[in-house]
Amino acid sequence: MGSSESVVIPMNGNAYHGGMPGSVRVRLFASAREAIGRPEVEWAVPAGGIVAEELVRALGRRFPALARVLPTCRFVRNGRYLNQLSQTVRPGDEFSVHPPYGGG
Amino acid sequence: MGVRLVRRPLSVARAYAELEGSGLGAVTVFVGRVRPDPSPQGRVEALDYEADLEPALRRLRAIEARAHEHFGAGRTVLWHRIGRVPAGEVAVIAGAAAGHRAEAFRAARYLIEELKRTVPIWKTERSRPGRPPRPRPGRRGARSSG
Repeated sequence: MGSSESVVIPMNGNAYHGGMPGSVRVRLFASAREAIGRPEVEWAVPAGGIVAEELVRALGRRFPALARVLPTCRFVRNGRYLNQLSQTVRPGDEFSVHPPYGGG
Repeated sequence: MGVRLVRRPLSVARAYAELEGSGLGAVTVFVGRVRPDPSPQGRVEALDYEADLEPALRRLRAIEARAHEHFGAGRTVLWHRIGRVPAGEVAVIAGAAAGHRAEAFRAARYLIEELKRTVPIWKTERSRPGRPPRPRPGRRGARSSG
């Protein structure tokens, strides 16, 4: 915490719900990274975790430029694709934001 | 398994050698190279490729397995370079060997199309400043750089 690459961002000011917060490492690629100007952020979440859909919404609120990219993105938790955004992301998890792919 | 995500140059000759095998009478190798296309800044001199490695490798292995199971490939290669790839150099090789050409073509096409569609790899253009690209005739709003 404290470096330019790792900033803990509270969900809603100082208000936490569901216990003491931990954080999720959010990794951003390509246009998502360019939208916020850094490759990852540490995102504070309640001890019980946060539904992925709410995490995505919160990221969009915090970074308006990212909000424009998010509707086209896929999401990965700990290296595995999230088929449903109703799944929970917990403190210590890694959450990756994948804009449309462009290999080849 | 023949999947690779590497920072070093890719060798078509080595890929072809990986596709040799008894009874594999047909070999299709797709090679994708970086084009020096005009860009708003001048001309593309390289592409920077990045990947989310863990899910990318998992997807590449799944694509390769399906090419064997459903498209009749006997051997395959599915290699992608990451990092900076200069114009003219090879960025991707997708190859399939099978008993006959129909299977080899189908499998190789499946490999490259699925890679482009489903593998978390991204590219960013790096351009060399130069003359602005000439606007295409009849195209409104074509940009020119400084």
